[in-house]
Amino acid sequence: MKKVVLSLLLSSMCALFVSAQATIFSEEIEIPEGYVIDDLLMPPSPLSLQVLFVGGVDLVQTTPTYGYEAGVAYAKEWHDFIGFTPDETGESLGWVSVNHEMIYQDNRIGDGGGMTVFRVERDPVSGQLEVVEQELEDGRKGEFFNVDFVNTVGETGMNCGGISSIVDGRIWTAEEWFRSNNGSIYNGGFSSPTSSGGYPKSPGGAENQGVRDTSAYLISSDIEGFDGLEVAKYENFNWMVEIDPRQAKAVRKQYNWGRQGFEGGVVAADNQTVYLGVDATPAFWAKFVADEPGDFTKGKTYIYKHDAPEKWLEVDNTDPEKMLNFADQAVELGGTMYNRVEWVAIDASSGKIYWTETGRDRPGSRWADENAAGAVHDPYHINRAIEKGIDSPNASEYPDYYGRVWVYDPAIDSNYVFLEGGPDWDEETSPSEADYFTKHLSNPDGLNVMMIDGQPFLVICEDLNGTSYGRMPAGISNRTCELWLLDLSIEQPTVDDLIRITAVPRGAEITGAMPTPDGKSLLVNSQHPNSNNPFPFNHSLTFAIHGFDEVTVTSLEEPQFESASQLQIFPNPTTRTVYLSEMTDLAVYNAEGQRLKVFRNTNQIDVSNLPAGMYFLQTAEGETKKLIVK
Amino acid sequence: MKATLTGLLYLLLLLMGTHFISFVPPKAYTAAEALRNVRAEFHAALAKLDQTAAAYEATAYAFVKGEANVEALQKAHTQTRLAYKSIEFLLEYNDREAVKKYLNGPPLLSVEPKVPEVRIIEPVGLQVLDELVYSEDPKVEQEEILRLARQFNKDFSKVKAFQEGVVLQHRFVFEAFRYQLVRIFTLGLTGFDTPGSAAALPEARQSLEGAAQALMAYFPLLEQIGPQLATDCRLELGSAIAALSQPSDFNSFRRLQFLKKHLNPLLKLSLEAQKALEVELLHEITDRPQAWNYEAENLFSDEFLNPSYYTNLSDAAQSEERIALGRMLFYDPILSANNERSCASCHHPDKAFTDGLPKSMALNGEGSIQRNAPTLINSVYAEHYFYDLREPNLERQVKHVVRDEKEFNTDFLEIVDKLKQSGAYRSLFAKAYPEHPQYQISKWSISNALACYVADLASFNSPFDQYVRGEREAIAAEVERGFDLFMGKANCGTCHFAPAFNGTVPPYFQESESEVLGVPAAAQGPDSFVLDPDPGRFASYKPIDQAPFYLHSFKTVTVRNAALTAPYMHNGIYRSLEEVVDFYNKGGGAGMGIDVPYQTLPDTPLELSAQEVQDLVAFMESLTDTTGMTAVPEELPAFETHPEWNKRRVGGTY
Repeated sequence: MKKVVLSLLLSSMCALFVSAQATIFSEEIEIPEGYVIDDLLMPPSPLSLQVLFVGGVDLVQTTPTYGYEAGVAYAKEWHDFIGFTPDETGESLGWVSVNHEMIYQDNRIGDGGGMTVFRVERDPVSGQLEVVEQELEDGRKGEFFNVDFVNTVGETGMNCGGISSIVDGRIWTAEEWFRSNNGSIYNGGFSSPTSSGGYPKSPGGAENQGVRDTSAYLISSDIEGFDGLEVAKYENFNWMVEIDPRQAKAVRKQYNWGRQGFEGGVVAADNQTVYLGVDATPAFWAKFVADEPGDFTKGKTYIYKHDAPEKWLEVDNTDPEKMLNFADQAVELGGTMYNRVEWVAIDASSGKIYWTETGRDRPGSRWADENAAGAVHDPYHINRAIEKGIDSPNASEYPDYYGRVWVYDPAIDSNYVFLEGGPDWDEETSPSEADYFTKHLSNPDGLNVMMIDGQPFLVICEDLNGTSYGRMPAGISNRTCELWLLDLSIEQPTVDDLIRITAVPRGAEITGAMPTPDGKSLLVNSQHPNSNNPFPFNHSLTFAIHGFDEVTVTSLEEPQFESASQLQIFPNPTTRTVYLSEMTDLAVYNAEGQRLKVFRNTNQIDVSNLPAGMYFLQTAEGETKKLIVK
Repeated sequence: MKATLTGLLYLLLLLMGTHFISFVPPKAYTAAEALRNVRAEFHAALAKLDQTAAAYEATAYAFVKGEANVEALQKAHTQTRLAYKSIEFLLEYNDREAVKKYLNGPPLLSVEPKVPEVRIIEPVGLQVLDELVYSEDPKVEQEEILRLARQFNKDFSKVKAFQEGVVLQHRFVFEAFRYQLVRIFTLGLTGFDTPGSAAALPEARQSLEGAAQALMAYFPLLEQIGPQLATDCRLELGSAIAALSQPSDFNSFRRLQFLKKHLNPLLKLSLEAQKALEVELLHEITDRPQAWNYEAENLFSDEFLNPSYYTNLSDAAQSEERIALGRMLFYDPILSANNERSCASCHHPDKAFTDGLPKSMALNGEGSIQRNAPTLINSVYAEHYFYDLREPNLERQVKHVVRDEKEFNTDFLEIVDKLKQSGAYRSLFAKAYPEHPQYQISKWSISNALACYVADLASFNSPFDQYVRGEREAIAAEVERGFDLFMGKANCGTCHFAPAFNGTVPPYFQESESEVLGVPAAAQGPDSFVLDPDPGRFASYKPIDQAPFYLHSFKTVTVRNAALTAPYMHNGIYRSLEEVVDFYNKGGGAGMGIDVPYQTLPDTPLELSAQEVQDLVAFMESLTDTTGMTAVPEELPAFETHPEWNKRRVGGTY
């Protein structure tokens, strides 16, 4: 029986048109007599995982809130941003701050979103991180602490991105969930159901959503123009909020930076300039410049307008009316519009500011009115529309499925596109898994800069807007958001230059990538996972990927194959990928010669799920190699 | 008689292997050539469908102009549908999203999936046309028919361009064929996608022929490896197609016999052929769990559906220790605030885990909770849980019960605190969760153990299942008639999909449906003419469900074990299965004259006779199986420091 198949196999190879997808691999490996098998070694990955903080399961220490005593509660979930505050005393590595991007009522943690902070130290022997027991000034003792917003600056909502200062580790949390009335901060703002009553309690649902206290909020603040001001409760949301990670409490809402659906930002090396990203369409690119380094209570706030002689136009930040209606001010000043600006990151070595424009499928109707009212499009979007044969970015058919990464270079005081998302797939329905792209960047969201082997890399997290237009293979309903690295020394990079970090649990949505200051670990969050990962990876959680100090730049790069007649195969232990010098079909057999996996029409295979052991790789052309996975 | 003769002739042609395979197979016919032939046939069929779609549009235009009559329009429709059906297996396999969206999706409003806002999609495609073209007077809807025919023609050319670019693989042919078998039986033959024309039988035949043609490209290779298997495959395909060619109409087609004699054997043989040819199987391609076990050989095998796909837990994670612990927790009232109520309070094992009440009793006996207690047996096979589909994760289902003031009225901090005080529980948890010392007794482990137990409550071993699988010689005639009605004339199987007979949609079994039935507030009296006010899915609190057509929409629950789960419907108004069938027989709420916006159940009476109602009930009663699931723990773990807790009763006080 084997012979028949083998002869079929051989004859198919001899056929005039060798169809790449047409070889049938036999279930038991066939190796011609005398064939010399080369060994390929896949050394152990230098990277390893450690879970630090599991949402919904780990307990956080809470302060007295809403009349309830201090105590414990299950941590909120939907982890997003991670901030890291280095410990200058050297007693520990530092404090980790984790955002919870949700709107959930909780008597002990407080309504709305939230944050959890904890302190970590590195075990010198194992290299693992350990969460340190702490006792805070307010008497709370434990490992994980809820950041007190309720008793300090008022609740927050949907804490998504934030700022982790590269200067001194000060932390701000952003509230993306832009609200425009009190009705929408309680009961979620969805249309009200019929009046039949008797709804079930629904944790995480609208009934359990939002902020129950909707009375007017009296601001107490050291920011000029705001102290003693009474605002509608919803107007106390959507600010950048500074917290003290050491004492797990909020410090101030940054009323002088404007009220917007903030997503991210950076503090520049001067400790005076703050660049701010807003998740909205239109989104305006804004900055704040403090009068004195380190004092962000006083300074000036600006809007970016690319076509103005002075590109930064000031908005009076001592006028609460203007700060409360910041986007209106931006339109009035004719600011430059973008399509959902999310995270902002700074490369300390060059001073360049990188930021993600996440994209929205059809932004036209979202910014046409603002355009008519005076706000302007970046020339990039105007040219892009023209290239697609569309009149303007305002047109309803103007597509922006995948977004991109931009750079703001202070040296030339200008924004330009650094990395375009894609590749484009104009059909609404996606290609099937078998025909899917090797690499596809959609809706970049989280962003950071990490030094690896002495060289800066951009860390990019996706947050897919959907599964259509090629963002996921057809028929796969779970969105898998990938974690990518990009070597910043590459000029004009493309999606092909991205390096996928496979050392993350399958199907997890990765956010918040934050390197530790010693360069050894990358802290990441897995947000509301929806795959069959074993516990705890079926919960939102914060984990560390260790071993980046052992990663070299060359170990991340795809091999450059020299042109040769023979197929070349190269296993990369860091990315757990076996690279082939050409596209082919390939089967993986176990040590006993039984077929385990078949790959079609590919030049790289992911072996991160193969347990350590010995395997055979056989290509459609009959080349066989022995792969030893450590 | 004539048709039977045709069938026999057909069989003969198939046996000779010349009818379908127009190419010459002698000498070194290779797998690559087989695939090239499949591709060539597929491309030819795409071109044919493209032509019929254009012709359909032209006819619809002529119909509007008064230059074509209804018969011509219906003929153009039928030709397009048949051309579609002949390649449905590959169109769906390659791009199921496009098929649903543009070609043959249900004629119902839907919301755009995976976007945060509610975006309502108007249905287009052949199913919508099927309703209009076969309505009482298509003339009334002529403009709409033209618009849809035009749209179909336009959409199909885009779909065609994509489909032509798909690089086929051997496994696609086998997988697409086997998916098509399941699709034909669970959807096509029930009339699911032919709401107007009722042309289910000719379409089923066409789609089986089309899929068979592709499979047969591999038969010359199969001949060389396993001549007997090749012959069996040919014979079985021939006889299945012959069975679909018989002169029976939609109502009289004997579906159970078709399932037993043709469908299941084909499911098995096609898998054997794939294995014999050494074409790679799904598990060698992807690590993603599959909702149905691709290697199942029988649609009614107890391993056909895969619980671990729905629970998001690997098989290994659903250990015996966890299931046993979950069972203990299920019966333990220590989980409730007053230590008097357990899961079993509303889910009695002797009633297939329901409680016999219209709506379950609330905590402290104060009134009732919102809805009827559904059976837990086979409940795992769903995309979402609860009648309003509010919870996507079985492991998180229990938290709704824990927090609800009318149910357990407590929180996990209290429950963990209590359980930790029992040495017996500590040791049970330690055995079940040895790899998680930090989370041994935790919110997660409690929820996980209960989910493992509920997922284990699977039953595919009723007398009916045994008969389908051939493990039982005979089944009562009324059961067989009842099944044929269920899957045919009575329209039950178009929502209660085989084999679980619930709302999980075949052939992918990934999506849970809900339906607006128009169930009244009461079975008798003035309230029997008033729509039950429960908003259902609309009030699931998921923004995506805030569409007007989800108002009063409820999850389609399983019919398995229905004999034990009275009373019925989300509000428990019907006391017997006869009353339930009577409700559907009248066309649901709208059929009874109640104003039900967006009722998804057709409001036309089914015209079932008294005998037919009895047959349907007999069939549903043959789906009873609670084997191995009804035993109650004899005692609960003891609490050393709380002797008063040790008096609590297994399953709760009430």
